[in-house]
Amino acid sequence: MVMSKRSNTFTIDGRAIPFIVGETVMQAAIKANIYIPHLCFNPEFTPNGSCKLCTCDINGRKKSSCCTEAQQDMQVNNETHELTGMRRTLVQMLFVEGNHYCPFCERSGNCQLQALAYDLGVTDLHFPQFTAHRNVDASHPDLMLDLNRCIFCELCIRSSTEVDHKDIFTIAGRGINKRLAINSKSGLLKDSTMKVTDKSAHICPVGCIIIKGEGFKTPIGERLYDQHSIRDVGNLRPDSAVKATTPMQAEKPKKKLKLATCSLAGCFGCHMSFLDMDERLIELLDRVELSRSPLNDIKTCAPDCDLGLIEGGVCNTENIAVLKHFRESCKIIIAVGSCAINGGVPSLRNNIDVKDCLDEAYLNGIGLVNPKIPSDKELPYLLEKVYPIHEVIKVDYFLPGCPPPADAFWKILNDLLDGKEPELPYNLLHFD
Amino acid sequence: MNKALAALIHQQVKVYRGDATYLLQILRHIQFFCSHIPEQAIQLLSFELKISIPKIRALIEFYHFLHYQPRGDYDIYISDSIIDHMSGKNEITSYLCEKLKVKLNQPRADGRVTVANTSCTGMSDQGPAVLVNGLALTRLSRKKVGQMVAKIEGKIAVEAWPKSWFNVADNIQSKGVLLNSEIKPGEAIKKALAADPHDSLTEIDKSGLRGCGGAGFKTAEKWKSCLLSDDNRRYVVCNADEGEPGTFKDRVLLNSYAEQLIEGMTLCAYIIGAQKGIIYLRYEYQHLHKKLQETLQTRRAANLLGTHILNTELSFDIEIFMGAGSYVCGEESALLESLEGRRAIPRIRPPYPVTHGYLGKPTVINNVETFCYAALIIEKGADNFAQQGLAGFSGCKILSISGDVEKAGIYEIPLGMPVKNVLNLCGAQSVQAVQVGGPSGALIIPAEFSRVISFDSLNTGGSFMVFNHSRDILENALNFTHFFMQESCGFCTPCRVGTKLICDLADKVATGQGARLDLDSIKQLNHVMNEMSHCGLGQRAAHPLLETLEKFPEYFVKRMTDVEYQPSFDVEKSIQRAIDIVTIESN
Ligand SMILES: Cc1cc2nc3c(=O)[nH]c(=O)nc-3n(C[C@H](O)[C@H](O)[C@H](O)COP(=O)(O)O)c2cc1C
Ligand code: SF4
Ligand code: SF4
Ligand code: SF4
Ligand code: SF4
Ligand code: FES
Repeated sequence: MVMSKRSNTFTIDGRAIPFIVGETVMQAAIKANIYIPHLCFNPEFTPNGSCKLCTCDINGRKKSSCCTEAQQDMQVNNETHELTGMRRTLVQMLFVEGNHYCPFCERSGNCQLQALAYDLGVTDLHFPQFTAHRNVDASHPDLMLDLNRCIFCELCIRSSTEVDHKDIFTIAGRGINKRLAINSKSGLLKDSTMKVTDKSAHICPVGCIIIKGEGFKTPIGERLYDQHSIRDVGNLRPDSAVKATTPMQAEKPKKKLKLATCSLAGCFGCHMSFLDMDERLIELLDRVELSRSPLNDIKTCAPDCDLGLIEGGVCNTENIAVLKHFRESCKIIIAVGSCAINGGVPSLRNNIDVKDCLDEAYLNGIGLVNPKIPSDKELPYLLEKVYPIHEVIKVDYFLPGCPPPADAFWKILNDLLDGKEPELPYNLLHFD
Repeated sequence: MNKALAALIHQQVKVYRGDATYLLQILRHIQFFCSHIPEQAIQLLSFELKISIPKIRALIEFYHFLHYQPRGDYDIYISDSIIDHMSGKNEITSYLCEKLKVKLNQPRADGRVTVANTSCTGMSDQGPAVLVNGLALTRLSRKKVGQMVAKIEGKIAVEAWPKSWFNVADNIQSKGVLLNSEIKPGEAIKKALAADPHDSLTEIDKSGLRGCGGAGFKTAEKWKSCLLSDDNRRYVVCNADEGEPGTFKDRVLLNSYAEQLIEGMTLCAYIIGAQKGIIYLRYEYQHLHKKLQETLQTRRAANLLGTHILNTELSFDIEIFMGAGSYVCGEESALLESLEGRRAIPRIRPPYPVTHGYLGKPTVINNVETFCYAALIIEKGADNFAQQGLAGFSGCKILSISGDVEKAGIYEIPLGMPVKNVLNLCGAQSVQAVQVGGPSGALIIPAEFSRVISFDSLNTGGSFMVFNHSRDILENALNFTHFFMQESCGFCTPCRVGTKLICDLADKVATGQGARLDLDSIKQLNHVMNEMSHCGLGQRAAHPLLETLEKFPEYFVKRMTDVEYQPSFDVEKSIQRAIDIVTIESN
């Protein structure tokens, strides 16, 4: 059989994709409605090639698809087990590099880094956090710059030069000391020519360049990426209201297991959310026997616990002792909530000296009588910063959220009772 | 502002015709003049060159030898390669700091002196080595340190220190066709000019010459692609950034074979039709700058450089461009960025420099050694060169051999020579391992010593570091890993974040806190960095640690408690601050 040679197609995961000569793999993929993960690419600007999330297998070699021109008969693999694993690692790298505390981030729910983490099924940081010292610049009347969340996609730079013709942003420093700098004498945004109407004010894929007064407008559950994965809707910024779907109903638990829970440096919100399983708790109790927990006030774990749920970060020596006790007693440890996973709210003190923290709490606080830093021998010592629990003990599973929804507790417990690998559906995986 | 500084800036701006691509060159001058880049200088430059202030700051923050804060009048950098360590670098550093009463990286209160570490300065054959106000001083001993300190305390200007202190030996240990040749200036060019440029290209092609900077790309092919490019404003750039720790052969070539280098660049210009050449000389080779300038000048006077070379149509001149401290500048596209006065961030390739290089024009970039061989090949013929190889390989290569050997220095060897023969040549005994190709290269153990040096099996830009049985190989991995973190440009995620993670993991293992899960992390990071990094630096950065892990597991086992998991931090250290506070409170 003679086949006419079809010109200008290549394949992505075996699917034939048409392209125009000169187009990159990324551009052709977007036209064909195929999602290749990306953070620094934006079709409106010249590609940057720095985030590396778009890396694909291209004719057997790993290349950035936003920088590689499509060629006739090129074979591209995008959705492979290997690439997903590598992209997860990249996302985790970006998370530990900056200071990403989603529960109190204005962009949460609309953030492309967070959305990619959801899509790739990233539930933990894996690596130790860098706790970088980065600045927040709130000087501008309409805009805020929280450099703790910058991922160096350079989209602000490109939009400022290519569209606004202003050149407001630049990169300085090198290596891990790289930083985003502002083109003004003082280095502050207010002294630059930046306007809220500039393109560059509306381009940041994460929560670094924020428009004041816009945060937290849409309720949790209704924000863009709460319900829709980034692969379905693409890398979008604006809030987009979406109806919440009904809570999912999982199958009944089948086997009884011994459960212990505790709260370290946390607010007990995760425990409250656990209790939010409401009448399902009764069903759960048919299958679960509660060992040490603040819910029953038992102080030690049975030595043969199946499961330990840990809320909160690690802020002092007592937390470490409790964690070790849990690790020794429980077969499976689950880190529950943002605080346990990346330190959360308590780690706001991480860039503040311990002495300053203690002074503020015990000496300078309002309404203190007889101010004194407690020094009783019985008291545990504070660590110099608040650590996520995976930096202190080995953690088997992570249940993100601040707090994780009751449905997520229900799902993960049922999976484990059924002897399945726990997996959270998209609508139950969120970081806030 | 200081009048002299303003005058310097005006003069520099004039010398460089207000061309902002020379910003880095101007900043270097200011740094030398004021021992830092004062804020006023930044503002004046911004005005004069019409570059925004943050862009100037970006350069200052990128290059290792530029500073906002004043350095000492005597600014001392100590070469921090593993080979320097083996020749007593740490001991010499403590002695120097103790004598001068300074802490590393902190200027002395009277502003007299600063002492800091820096990546390998290309003196592995004569370490421990330092740079004093940019000039190399090698083979430091306690005695020499004592003498130096006396000069510093006596406020004797570096220019007035004994000249002999600044001698840098060539240490040529074994000569082959190139190191034995004594090309008369102009011989190769005359020969080439007598024939069609195409004939010269054919000759280079026939010789099988491949790039000596590390990648081993066929030289003739590179030159041909450039020749075929559309634009006919073309450039020849010599990569003399020699930053790979343990390499120093370009230093010797630049010192004693500069005629061949310039001859080679001129030939390239003739073949590809270029009018301008640039030598990008690393900061650490400041001591070679003047001599190179003089060689260029002599050649200009002899009508071998400049307009109408030897009264032909060929016009070509060469400019020297100095680096300011950054290993990644050796990557060819990063080098171009640096030449154009920006931070050295490797470009997206393709397009390659041969079509879009310096100022966007077609550019051939080759290593110093490659140009030298090109001149030799035109002079002596392709066959003469090709015949040199052993066992089916053609040509030769210069190695920089250092470490536990009798005679450190440069060795020109035929390609195809087995590692064990190289080790015999340099008098290495009781060898535990060889690092071939520098930190970016490969760790070779005795079982592999019959492997041969060649572009296809054991490729090396020239670095060949030998370690005997007294060495702790994990120390190498630590040193290399930290080197990569310090030199990462920070452009891409896998390398920027990965080099830091790998360093932390290496340190964790080295301090006995490593666990089995950490080894998994190292493997995963190596995979991601190797496959996803934007340039060779990140691609190779996790490799030394992993390779040490694979080839010398005993060094890990020795340090590790056999557990699956260990915390990421030291609890005792982490609570020290709180203990101190509480102790004060309870007293
Ligand atoms: C991180 C990095 C550093 C490099 N450093 C050097 C160097 O110092 N000298 C050099 O000649 N080539 C270096 N290279 C290789 C250059 O990119 C380029 O391949 C070489 O200059 C081409 O010349 P050649 O073909 O003559 O070898 C480096 C490459 C990378 C990725
Ligand atoms: S939501 Fe905010 S904190 Fe979370 S990943 Fe995005 S930018 Fe970072
Ligand atoms: S501020 Fe936002 S847009 Fe700019 S580089 Fe950082 S993450 Fe990207
Ligand atoms: S994760 Fe949120 S809800 Fe849970 S303990 Fe921390 S702050 Fe409270
Ligand atoms: S691999 Fe490293 S040095 Fe190379 S571009 Fe990426 S960050 Fe820069
Ligand atoms: S999207 Fe291609 S590298 Fe960032």
